[in-house]
Amino acid sequence: MDDVRLISKSEMSHIFSDSGVLVIFFLAGLLYPVLYGLIYRNDSVENMPVAVVDGSCSAESRDFLRAVDATRELSVSYSCTDMAEAEMLMRQRKVNGIVMIPQDFADRLAAKEQTAVSIYADMSSFLYYKNLTMGVNMVMLDRMHKIQASRFSAAGFSARQTEQLVQPVKYEANVPYNRNFSYSLFFLSAVLLIIIQQTMFYGISMLTGTMREENRSFSVLPDGLQGHGISRTVLGRGAAYWLLYIGIGIYVAVIVPRMIGMPHNCPFGEIFILLLFYVTACVGFSFTFSTFIRHRETVIVIFLMMSPICLFLTGFSWPQSSFPVFWRLFSYIFPSTFAVRAFINMNTAGASLAMCSDEFLALAVQTAVYYALSCLAAYLENRRTAVSRG
Amino acid sequence: MKSFVVNVMAVIRRELRVIRQRPVYMIASVGVLAFCIVFFMTFLKDRQPYDLPVGVVDSDRSSLSRNFIRQIEATKIGKTVSFSTYAEARHALQTGRVTAFFVIPEHFYDDVLSYRQPTLAFYVNTVYFIGGSLSYKELLTLANLSSGAVQRELLRAKGMSDTEIMGQIQPIVIDSHQIGNPTMDYKAFLLNALLPGILEAIVILVTVYALGSELKYGTSRHLLEKAGGSMSAALLGKLIPYTALFVLLGLTCDFILYGRTGFPMAGSVLNMCVGTVALILASEAVAVFIIGTLPVLRLAISIAALYSTLGFSMAGFSLPVEAMPPYIRGLSAVFPVRHYYLMYVQEAFFAGGFGGWYMQLAYMLLFLFLPATVYGRLRKAYENLNFPRN
Repeated sequence: MDDVRLISKSEMSHIFSDSGVLVIFFLAGLLYPVLYGLIYRNDSVENMPVAVVDGSCSAESRDFLRAVDATRELSVSYSCTDMAEAEMLMRQRKVNGIVMIPQDFADRLAAKEQTAVSIYADMSSFLYYKNLTMGVNMVMLDRMHKIQASRFSAAGFSARQTEQLVQPVKYEANVPYNRNFSYSLFFLSAVLLIIIQQTMFYGISMLTGTMREENRSFSVLPDGLQGHGISRTVLGRGAAYWLLYIGIGIYVAVIVPRMIGMPHNCPFGEIFILLLFYVTACVGFSFTFSTFIRHRETVIVIFLMMSPICLFLTGFSWPQSSFPVFWRLFSYIFPSTFAVRAFINMNTAGASLAMCSDEFLALAVQTAVYYALSCLAAYLENRRTAVSRG
Repeated sequence: MKSFVVNVMAVIRRELRVIRQRPVYMIASVGVLAFCIVFFMTFLKDRQPYDLPVGVVDSDRSSLSRNFIRQIEATKIGKTVSFSTYAEARHALQTGRVTAFFVIPEHFYDDVLSYRQPTLAFYVNTVYFIGGSLSYKELLTLANLSSGAVQRELLRAKGMSDTEIMGQIQPIVIDSHQIGNPTMDYKAFLLNALLPGILEAIVILVTVYALGSELKYGTSRHLLEKAGGSMSAALLGKLIPYTALFVLLGLTCDFILYGRTGFPMAGSVLNMCVGTVALILASEAVAVFIIGTLPVLRLAISIAALYSTLGFSMAGFSLPVEAMPPYIRGLSAVFPVRHYYLMYVQEAFFAGGFGGWYMQLAYMLLFLFLPATVYGRLRKAYENLNFPRN
């Protein structure tokens, strides 16, 4: 036990005497979550500017467009005389969508025929498309019910009968965990925990690389142990990062969500248990893969782009059910895959620990495998340095 | 002048030797880009998520409820998973196993037949944003159509023709057009924004690494010697081989995006190539600025990593920049990839041509003034090697 404490203390002093690693651990680990919180502070785009082209110029079309303007999603900022003018506004990015009412709009409605309203969405962001279709669809459904109701009552049905005819089936839409379709909630839930794994991996690899460059091994056994104590070395070094990252983890997964006003539908204790599993798996993961690093700076130059890839592998955006098999298997390498899913489900959707047992089991298996692998790596490293010395 | 060219040539030859000797340069540029392209191309090969798991709790088990389930199966977006109780379905929703579920109440068919207006309830987990938004839209439409289907039966019984019926049950339809991405291709949307971001990151990291290595390994005096004592010749000679490599990679990206994969491109690919070259030059300028300000490789590389990761968010393709808080919005201007993205939208969506994006090009070229501000500092660092190397 004393050995473990000693090794862990010397590892700590390595960490705190390395400015590059401190930048990654503390500047990135502490500043990034807040920065992302600020960037994605606003939930969604509200009152997105749209241009309207009213070919009909009738009471019905004006009423439709007024309702469009009144939606939360959209705001009519320009009325254009023709499509060319509206297209020009879109090209100048003054509007992100166009609503066009055809000339025969009112006539067709009067003749009880079907009429079409055309919408044109700027697809440079998914949010523009979502806003335009949702806003206009809501108005369309509302008008549809009103038109049907007025026709039925004109045909002599009573108010009660009309209601039954217009909506023989009622529906109730529930969007329980993210009612406002908040983009920030979706993005931040995933990105926060990725920061933990990635900064730890970069930092540990940088230190391993430095030691290699200085012709030291990353896992020198204390002389007194006489070649035994591989696991003590791994445990000791691991304990240093583990302690540091439990702290950073609490900050990232518990304090930051409260700072930036994310929901936290899960008691602190359960998030803490998730962190225990996740941070432990991350230490094993980083130890295992950092053994391949020969030079300190190369890890960032080569592996920085793994961060967005890990993010997509969590299935936060492109749905998990649509993953190709190979990448599904590939995603099992990373602790973030399971921890992010558990975090999203627990912290945002309020799932209990037991409901996320699959993810916890996966993290435990990863910890066991990576612990064995990092002991093996330390053993091989020691044998090699021993041979080269002897 | 002649001797300047000779000096530059000498440095280029030296640099090519360095690139040959140290594999990290090729791995970090060609290798990383190739891996990212292969990853995103195969990961998103479906272009749109299909067959999202949608849960069903069918408490009615009638021909009408089965018909409703078949309609969900018939959409591109959903495949149904049945649950026997509400609790089970909610459990699956909370753990992300289904993106949505709906509940068909008991006596649904009977209630419809006798106009008692039963309620269909559906629940969508929009924390998984893409899958959630798509299923929400689809289920909302289906819920409305089910009312329409009942009305149609009734109106048919009254002897109305099918066109008259359509004019009654759906008086207004929405005809939706997606500008810039007519097929709602998620892969095109994501890759067109991500690949330039990845390219920017690669250019910055590799350039910082190349310039910083001279300091770290104390070879900068040798470099200046080769350059005949001229810092300009040294810098130019060092950057030319990388610029050639990056331009080759950038143009390959453009070819893959718009040529091979056939992503929507209203304008000309040639114009996009001009933008790509500008993006590369601007990113190199940023890299020179970073290493010039902080002539310590380990710090500069960490800062470069933080900067290029932020570029992805600040390009504004995920959350539009105008939805960010005002004090963050301005920050987006310091990322070349932001200007490139705006230029891409002009060219690929609206075929804007030079008139549409010359300002974006000018902004990117403005970055080229950055190296001048740190030129003297970097030269002193190269001459004196007076910064900590490790």
